[in-house]
Amino acid sequence: MNFHMFEQCHDVACNNIFAWLNQGPLTLTIVLHTIIILPMFWIYFSEKKKLQQGKKD
Amino acid sequence: MAGKKASVWTSISFWRRSAAWVTGFATILLIWLTFDTIAQIRMGTDQELKEGIKRRIPAPTVVNYKIDYKYDEKRGLEAPVIGPEKQPLFGKELSAKEAAAMLHLGKLTSQSKNCMDCHTLLGNGGYYAPDLTKAWLDPMWEKTMPAMTGKKTKEEAMVAFLMHPDKYPTHARMMPNLGITEKEAKALVVFLKHMSSIDTNGYPRGFSKTIKEFQTGGTYAK
Repeated sequence: MNFHMFEQCHDVACNNIFAWLNQGPLTLTIVLHTIIILPMFWIYFSEKKKLQQGKKD
Repeated sequence: MAGKKASVWTSISFWRRSAAWVTGFATILLIWLTFDTIAQIRMGTDQELKEGIKRRIPAPTVVNYKIDYKYDEKRGLEAPVIGPEKQPLFGKELSAKEAAAMLHLGKLTSQSKNCMDCHTLLGNGGYYAPDLTKAWLDPMWEKTMPAMTGKKTKEEAMVAFLMHPDKYPTHARMMPNLGITEKEAKALVVFLKHMSSIDTNGYPRGFSKTIKEFQTGGTYAK
């Protein structure tokens, strides 16, 4: 078992991104959650800016 | 008014935008995964098999090859090993068309006889009778069953057993006679051999071929 994020793909089909990302424990889950959560920081700060400027919904 | 103190957490707009983003992303991801899965589970072709191109589900002509099951260190699971040596069923190699027809008949027979009522096939079915996913590789068919049925080969023993399962006391819960014809039984053998060649990511977990491991519970536990 390895705990590296990216490893040489040993799956049956390695020509897709999910096979590469699904190799270590939780790696696909961590990547997908990161992709989902990161833009939410941007949404948060842009909303904050909007509220501070007194704009309504 | 700039610099006004405001809580984003109570902002409806923030939650609406976040929900739209998460839902939208998940929708696109699921559509992508659906098409990716379709490509992954597409049955391979005879040509790919000849060229040694690995697919999760090989072509029906895989039944002409020797199928083994080995522990893959890098993947950390057991995977089917196909060929390269041939091992045709009933001593005759099947053409791509014949193999596909037999596999289809085997699948229809398994459905009409409702094997899944008692057995598990590729994760679906009952737990009353043994899992059939890798039945072709079960060491019991190497010596015990040919001896019990008085047949020379594994496939002939399987046919004899499938046609009259009530004659052979293989299990405390004996299989009933389902009225399977010889043609259907042969097709079922093709179906079972093909199923054992499917790369199921190591499922059923810990299934192994060698007698030694079989005797210690069929696992790689050391």
